[in-house]
Amino acid sequence: MSAQPLPSNDNDVSIATIAPKQEAPTSSKKLPPPEKPSDVRRRSHVILSFWLIVLLLGLPIWWKTTTIYRADLPLEDMLEWADGKACRPVFPLRISIQATSLQDQEAQNLLRLTQHALDDLNDFAGHHLRLQMGDEKQDSADNGSALTIRLTPGEGTTATLDPYEPILDITYPQNTIPSPTASSSALATYIASQLRTTFAEEQATISYLLSTDSMPSEHRPLGLSPETAEALAKRTTRSLKYAPTYHLTFSLFTSGPLPSSWDIETAIEEYMKPVLDVLSPIHNFTIDTQVQLYASPGVQNEVLNKEDLSSFINAAEWPLSPSIGGAPTINFIVFVGNQTIASPSQEAAPTSHSWLIPQWGTVFLLSLPGDTTHVAAATLKQPLLTFTSHLLSLTGTPESGSLPLRLSTLARIRSADLLLRASSTLGSLARLAMALPSISIPSSVADGVTKTMSHLRLACDNLGGTEGLAHARIAEAEAERAFFEKSMVGQLYFPDEHKIAVYLPLLGPVAVPLVMGLINEIKAWRKRRRERAEKGAEKKGE
Amino acid sequence: MKRPRQSRPSSTHLPQHHDLPTNIINTTKMKLSSLLLPAFLLAGPSLAEHTSNWAVLVCTSRFWFNYRHLANVLSIYRTVKRLGIPDSQIILMLPDDMACNPRNAFPGTVYSNADRAVDLYGDNIEVDYRGYEVTVENFIRLLTDRVGEEMPRSKRLLTDDRSNILVYMTGHGGNEFLKFQDAEEIGAWDLADAFEQMWEKRRYHEILFMIDTCQANTMYSKLYSPNIIATGSSELDQSSYSHHADNDIGVAVIDRYTYYNLEFLESEVKDTSSKKTVGDLFDSYTYEKIHSHAGVRYDLFKGGAEEARRRLVTDFFGNVQNVEVDSGKGETNASFEEEMVRLSRTIAELHTRAEEQEAAERNATASAAKTGKKQQQPRKIQRVAKPLTDDNWWTKKIVGATALAGCAALWGLGSYLEGVV
Repeated sequence: MSAQPLPSNDNDVSIATIAPKQEAPTSSKKLPPPEKPSDVRRRSHVILSFWLIVLLLGLPIWWKTTTIYRADLPLEDMLEWADGKACRPVFPLRISIQATSLQDQEAQNLLRLTQHALDDLNDFAGHHLRLQMGDEKQDSADNGSALTIRLTPGEGTTATLDPYEPILDITYPQNTIPSPTASSSALATYIASQLRTTFAEEQATISYLLSTDSMPSEHRPLGLSPETAEALAKRTTRSLKYAPTYHLTFSLFTSGPLPSSWDIETAIEEYMKPVLDVLSPIHNFTIDTQVQLYASPGVQNEVLNKEDLSSFINAAEWPLSPSIGGAPTINFIVFVGNQTIASPSQEAAPTSHSWLIPQWGTVFLLSLPGDTTHVAAATLKQPLLTFTSHLLSLTGTPESGSLPLRLSTLARIRSADLLLRASSTLGSLARLAMALPSISIPSSVADGVTKTMSHLRLACDNLGGTEGLAHARIAEAEAERAFFEKSMVGQLYFPDEHKIAVYLPLLGPVAVPLVMGLINEIKAWRKRRRERAEKGAEKKGE
Repeated sequence: MKRPRQSRPSSTHLPQHHDLPTNIINTTKMKLSSLLLPAFLLAGPSLAEHTSNWAVLVCTSRFWFNYRHLANVLSIYRTVKRLGIPDSQIILMLPDDMACNPRNAFPGTVYSNADRAVDLYGDNIEVDYRGYEVTVENFIRLLTDRVGEEMPRSKRLLTDDRSNILVYMTGHGGNEFLKFQDAEEIGAWDLADAFEQMWEKRRYHEILFMIDTCQANTMYSKLYSPNIIATGSSELDQSSYSHHADNDIGVAVIDRYTYYNLEFLESEVKDTSSKKTVGDLFDSYTYEKIHSHAGVRYDLFKGGAEEARRRLVTDFFGNVQNVEVDSGKGETNASFEEEMVRLSRTIAELHTRAEEQEAAERNATASAAKTGKKQQQPRKIQRVAKPLTDDNWWTKKIVGATALAGCAALWGLGSYLEGVV
């Protein structure tokens, strides 16, 4: 501002105050007194120091406090997992053959031929059945085999699944044992086809899972027939998403004042607990029960047709969703009333009493004599058995095969499912991190991602085995935690107008004198330099 | 500072999970000898169905003169409840409590019509977020489910890729923003990003986004995630008007757009069996009724306008569950199931027996190992004090030391300068 001529009265004052120290100007025109070089220097120092503070202190602080912390994520690896490139899900199922009656040589030969036949039948590389010779004493659970084939000589060729253990009993007539030189054998083919039927459902389910995921097409397994695909789609729609714990709610709703109590504890103990026990390696269950009298259903018709059933649940008034804990709830409802379900055809087909609501639970209509006050455990047998079988299908248990096989298949299906879900969560997180550059990524997310990937790797390597499920479960939980990290939120997008509106009132008044001072100082410096140059030229001229 | 949104490879990367039953890409893997067939598409007849319905109903304004906004939301709440969505699947956000407002001439009630036939605030109402809990942050947290452990399930949107969601918002808005509680606002970009995060995590199957504010259509203009049908009450630079006032209450009780939506839902969609489509609902909007140009956006929906219009109203406003009735072969089923229970009991017994055996063996080996290890145990030294976390320990020390040194230097400088003067 020193370049501008100052108002005259200001000038007067300044002269008046500093006049005693200075000699009065000789000319009649009032001019500001010449500045002392030390004052000029001091002023430039002042301006310089202000700018230094702004640049060296203010700017870094501003930068530090406004940048968004983004931990480094291994984006490429994450996307590889999501695209299925990092892991080729293979389920090497070991099947041991116990053939005590056969000689070693014969058994080996049979094994080789059966394996050959299996390989010929198999069109899905991911799901591979591998035969091995079993030791008689060894338990099937110990050596990690999924199924044991017990060969015993008998009258004809038969195959039965042992109901208690994963054992396939095969009897064969003595003459069907292949000779060491034979290149094919009827018995071997028979065993192979039996094995294939046993594992058909598992294979179809897993290949369906893989096909619905974002696997690249060359990893995609066999073509499923439309019917199978539809049935599988229906089943996956029905079953709940995997959770380590499910909460089971048993509710007794009555249309009137009676019955007012039920012997549910005994009934559960008797009819459901065994199934819960066998499911326990895969899921935990918590249970609560409730009774509500005078409960009116959503539909009042005497005879319920299929459309009424979907609105039968009176969601507004029935207390069905306890918000206890974090586990998803499966509802089992016994409704005591006089309503019946219309049979689909007009014939006198046996009427059903229950229906299943996908991913939700089951309703069972129980008609009792009007004066029953207490529902005995024996009366609850039929409802509880229905609930039990529905529970299995709600948890996604396969439908064919013996129970032990169904359960081990469930474990494998669930580990594949969890693996795919964790991978796709990783992919989502990676894409999100790329798409939203202003989202903050705390280091806990990066930790979670690392953990997820290491567990995914372990799960992928042990898919056929038992640790696979455990690792997949951890991986999935970690991936979810990383994705849903609490601090990765807030308003992400600020329009430029908002930024200006915030910064301008703050920085404007400060910036104007700073910038003007700097400009003036530069101007003065250039002027001085020019003058000095002129002086130098004059001196030379002299 | 516009972010490079366009470069996002969203269309190629998005997982098309929800509709897989309709077209399963079926690659036939051939044996080595045969030719490689090209992948072919199977257009299955089955519809991709949703298994649950959720509703997120948000009012964003408080104070008595905004009575109508709360009434709007409460009437939609009543409607979705009437059509079967349970309270556990409705997230209701009310920033103010009109029923208990001292200016309310009818304490404890909220009406959306001057005839005061239906008390919207009657029994059985579950407000999930109320008062100052209704913030932009909480809303985005709700949508993206980025909440803490402490958040109860009833306040979370626990949807999955089979869930249809109705998102209804009302309040005071402007060009590409909606004001929350006079203190903050949500921008159209924020909303779009939140929906995208939901889509990425497969948190919805289809969304019906409905908004009743001034310039409402600008709010959905920035959405970019698939399978969203969006509708709003008014165009850019248009206000959204209230329908009528109740002279005894003294303020307007409902907005026009919501009023005519409700009229349609009450008269045409009587119960969940209604076959009215979303297209029918949108066609019922006219300028004469609403006094502003209601907008609809279909382009995000797979299949475009045609497919979107065919969705039933109850797909979003109702709770339609497909049920599977049991075959009812009473006795035979029972015996089969009984058999299963018996089986499981035996298996469980076998398991426990095996476990016990294993545990016994382990105990034996452990005790053997213990005797060997016993000498080593006392060596364990208990440290006297230990920082609970050792991350950033040194940084913290350095920062502290620097601060102390700085203070000392300042003090020294001050006293030096004093001495000089």
